[in-house]
Amino acid sequence: MKAFGALHPLVLFCYFIAVLFLSAFTSHPVLLALSLLGAVCFWATLEQGGGFWRSMGYYAVLFLLIAVTNPLFSHNGVTPLFFLNGNPVTLEAILMGIDIAALMVSIIFWCKCYSLVMTSDKFLYLFGRIVPKLSLVLSMALRFIPLFQNQAQRVGRAQKAMGLYAGTSYVDKLRGGLRVFSVMVTWSLENAVDTGDSMRARGYGLKGRTSFSLFRFTLRDGVFLAGTAILFAAVLAGMRMGYLHFTFYPEVAPVQTALAAIWCYVCYGLLAFLPFILETEENLKWIYSVSKI
Amino acid sequence: MKKDLLVLLAVVLLAVFVIRGTEIQSVDEYYLTHIDDISEDSETVFLSIRCDTILENWDALDSALRSEQYVPKDGVILQKTEYVLRPGDSVFDLLSRATRHHKIQMEYQGVRDNGYGSAYIRGIHYLYEFSCGPLSGWLYTVNGAFPGYGCSKYFPKDGDVIEWKYTCDLGRDVGNDSGSGLQGR
Repeated sequence: MKAFGALHPLVLFCYFIAVLFLSAFTSHPVLLALSLLGAVCFWATLEQGGGFWRSMGYYAVLFLLIAVTNPLFSHNGVTPLFFLNGNPVTLEAILMGIDIAALMVSIIFWCKCYSLVMTSDKFLYLFGRIVPKLSLVLSMALRFIPLFQNQAQRVGRAQKAMGLYAGTSYVDKLRGGLRVFSVMVTWSLENAVDTGDSMRARGYGLKGRTSFSLFRFTLRDGVFLAGTAILFAAVLAGMRMGYLHFTFYPEVAPVQTALAAIWCYVCYGLLAFLPFILETEENLKWIYSVSKI
Repeated sequence: MKKDLLVLLAVVLLAVFVIRGTEIQSVDEYYLTHIDDISEDSETVFLSIRCDTILENWDALDSALRSEQYVPKDGVILQKTEYVLRPGDSVFDLLSRATRHHKIQMEYQGVRDNGYGSAYIRGIHYLYEFSCGPLSGWLYTVNGAFPGYGCSKYFPKDGDVIEWKYTCDLGRDVGNDSGSGLQGR
């Protein structure tokens, strides 16, 4: 069930660049809400089961932490709610904190989706020929965290099997975790060197070498690439013309409801929900096919 | 389990320490309704807050602030007013008391939050540093001269005239050619 992931790597890469760029360079609450929702919905189709809710809980806490931080350091705004050590905590600062939190969490979710969809073989297929060294480093950097987590769990299990820090006390667990972490730092350095050596031994990046891949650029890919480009250009044009300008200080600006601005929201919404729509369509088709058996 | 309880105790103690160090006031408590009465023998100073330079640099102003609500037409945020000078009052104390009395918004960076050893006024009446170009911010003069001290390090005398002025050009447009004396920088 990976309709979106089956697209050509070039289309996927362009899509993620477009979405990440637009999310990172806007502070407009409508766009950020669409971006956050789109990313979470897409991620829900990729990561099913218990992992989804556990992550959602974790990111909800992160969201609140970021949202609370802004009013502690920024005291601008016309609506003071209360005063903290002689500086106002304002409604505007809290709203802006929520906005910043939406921006950061949506970007984290897009990156999580990216790492699930753009596997390192796709990335190396795109850039392995043009910039071999950089693309190897980048693909190693991008898979570093998942690999690190995986290996940390394995080391942790091994430690537990040996009976180290197996107590129920949280302090013991924390100390065990620190020990695993120090093991992991050494291991990851060594692993990176090993990977580099191994790739060199295989002749990676040498002239005249070809590599096998199954990716073919079909008409469907072309349509999606064109669609992404058009939506991206439309939203970018809206940004340049000031329709997506938004300010929180000193007073929260009203959300623009000009026709052009609404078109920008629609375009951005389509762009953000594109993978989710694709995945849902595929899932429905699957359910329908199963029901006919 | 014993270790857990010890750690929990430490965390609770830290939380209590942090909470005791924060003072929470409601809006009504913060804004002063009454200020020291001026009597015959009290020492006084004059204080005013102006932003005339913004009117001359309207194009550089942040578009969200281009309204009479934030920049008064005559550039006067606080008329020249006489205030009681309590013993040991710094310019910052006076400004703080005046803004609290007149319900003027003011944000400052505390003495411990910067490297200058003095409070730094970031914004008054929603007009912040950098709101009107990269060289803009708040400055103060005492009897027309720039003291060259941070506002919580300068202690005015009886009868001094303190003026807070908004500059759009690092002080040059309000008569400070040396570039020093920018709130002590």
